[in-house]
Amino acid sequence: MVALGVISLIIGVDTAIVNAVEKNVVIGFTASQTGKLNMEAMRQINGLQLWMEQVNAAGGVKLPDGTVVKFTAKFYDDESKKERVQELYTKLINQDKAEFLISPYSSGLADAAAVIAQQYNKIMITAGAASDSTYKKGYTLVFQTYTPASRYLTGAVDLLAQMDPKAKKIAIIHEKDKFSTDVVNALRTYAEGKGCQVALLEGYESGTTDFAPFINKIPAGVDAILGGGHYADTSTLARQLHEKGVKAKMVALLVAPPEPQFAELGEAALGVIGPSQWEPHTAAYNPASAKKLNVEWFGIGVPEFIKAYQQRFKEDPSYHSAGGYVAGLLLQKAILASGSTTTDKVKAALDAMDILTFYGRIKFDTQKMHGLQIAHDMIYSQWQRHSEGKLVKKLVWPEAFKTAEAILYRK
Amino acid sequence: MTLWRRPGLWIPLILVFLWGLLILVSGLDSMREVTFTLMMFATLAASLNILLGYTGYVSFGHIVFFGLGGYTGFYLLSQRGWPLSLAAVSGGLLSAAVAGLLGLAVLRLRGAYFALATIGINEAARAFISNFSPFGGATGLFVNFSYYQSYGGAGRALWLTFISLWLTILLVTVVSYGVKHSRFGLGLMAIREDEDAALVMGVKAPQAKTIAFVISAFFPGIVGTLYFFKNGNVEPGDAFQLHMSIETLVMIMLGGQGTVSGPLLGAVTYQGLRGYLLTSPLFKSLHLAIAGLVLLLIVLFLPAGAIGWLRQRFQGLRRFLE
Repeated sequence: MVALGVISLIIGVDTAIVNAVEKNVVIGFTASQTGKLNMEAMRQINGLQLWMEQVNAAGGVKLPDGTVVKFTAKFYDDESKKERVQELYTKLINQDKAEFLISPYSSGLADAAAVIAQQYNKIMITAGAASDSTYKKGYTLVFQTYTPASRYLTGAVDLLAQMDPKAKKIAIIHEKDKFSTDVVNALRTYAEGKGCQVALLEGYESGTTDFAPFINKIPAGVDAILGGGHYADTSTLARQLHEKGVKAKMVALLVAPPEPQFAELGEAALGVIGPSQWEPHTAAYNPASAKKLNVEWFGIGVPEFIKAYQQRFKEDPSYHSAGGYVAGLLLQKAILASGSTTTDKVKAALDAMDILTFYGRIKFDTQKMHGLQIAHDMIYSQWQRHSEGKLVKKLVWPEAFKTAEAILYRK
Repeated sequence: MTLWRRPGLWIPLILVFLWGLLILVSGLDSMREVTFTLMMFATLAASLNILLGYTGYVSFGHIVFFGLGGYTGFYLLSQRGWPLSLAAVSGGLLSAAVAGLLGLAVLRLRGAYFALATIGINEAARAFISNFSPFGGATGLFVNFSYYQSYGGAGRALWLTFISLWLTILLVTVVSYGVKHSRFGLGLMAIREDEDAALVMGVKAPQAKTIAFVISAFFPGIVGTLYFFKNGNVEPGDAFQLHMSIETLVMIMLGGQGTVSGPLLGAVTYQGLRGYLLTSPLFKSLHLAIAGLVLLLIVLFLPAGAIGWLRQRFQGLRRFLE
């Protein structure tokens, strides 16, 4: 009996130790595996998946009480539609027991998921959802990785002024959806504040494939054409601008130009500028620059991320990939900092967060627009011709990130 | 009076009532969400059936009324502070009024011309709302999360939305049955079979078609308000999705057009299957292909829809399956 008692005690203790050191945390999200947002969303999933594989392979996140947190992902296809987003997030929380959430790709879908996240007291990191309006709704558990839409194209106006101080006439052609409209509303205010004249402001419906009516309305002598929307429509707009021989000093469009596939447009991609959340050549994000900024450096470096991503997915990472990776990285940092996986403690750690990562600086608004990203900066890249004739992306703005001077789109 | 005692009415009504009650009693949030999606499409299908099934007019514009009514209801509750119930009914009434006006113009068209016109209406409505600043233009409208506190928190608000939809689907079932068995409904069915002959027989076709259009448009307006209230925001892209109209048509064909239970059964089967495939570990990457294949097989082998086939195959069931 005594022996049995001792054995059961040992088993009990062992079990307690095993329970104490192993904790599997489910991260739940929906992903647009099919539908119009497929391209951007799949890169985002790849990024998150890479982070998860790396953190688990490194032994997980070790908490002060000895617990080792490892992660698994649970996700469903939302078909790029809002209809089932709330249903799927409710399922992820209640049936799949997701403890943390990543948003769907795009602001519209993320908004629907945010209601569920907040209702169930779950932290949701939004990746691929840049609209500012999400953070005006009083959510306290939703945290943004992207630079908000209101700052997407404002840098292009500064770049134009640097390229040619006399260039003041701009045309804006944009997708009429929430994200793109948020971007151009802020762009217009900013451009006019800088003394620019918005000679054309036209919105097109989502799914537009013929841009001729909009391109024909561009007034003569326009210095810059700005706008676009999501990948499919923006790349078509860029192609048709080229086919119609439109002349302008600058063409800066949303979402599509930073994607590596954009180069497949060939000549039509040449000179096109794209605002990007992240670019592979952002050498400025490293431990030394973190020291200069007097903030903590966290996670892997830019070259390590690129190498790991290329090895894993046999393609170059885009900012959507980096956004997916950093969404996981932020959760990892917050869990590490709080020493816990409970919502309240992780939220407090996210609120207090001010770090530099391979993706850039991360800090959230904790006041009126809680969760809004306030420290991360946009980078502007441009497709230029390499000396061997190949199209390559160069960073042209801001000054700190420049790898080349911006070239004129078409004289 | 015997009309309202027929099992053809009470069977679907009791089944839908028990279904909602079961979800309510279980208190399971995930079941509520799944059921909300099914009931939403079932209500859309049952209401469209009044025009498509009874009158024979194929409309791709049913979702216009979901969008316009939803926008109106959401505007009233988010910008004017109206309670959900009043806003939802107002959304329905607005949709019905718009259908009345549209009906006077487009219901003069027949067949493919009418169907094409309804696609145009969908695009026109989306373009109008995208430029209508009181409704927020392209960025739409939203409510602050704290707004749900007036309903006892987001959790209770979601349950309230579910109960409201449950009542709406019960109502549309009764209305669908009532229309089918009324003198007015017989007129609609005469139009469906041969509109010219119906006119000769004294059916006031233009008036009857417009009334059918108005009735069918009322319910999507309510559903739209409930759906957008639940999402906390509304945008033009979400409000006027042509694919939702097409899917609703498919659900009616699947269940059996011109029947009371058919659209309900079709919607539950179609959306249930989509939902299962979407979340099944085995099929989740192939869900669209499998849903398409199943649909093809059903349309090939059950052209009258499930209820239509049962009514043809088993004459004795006609009393029970309307």
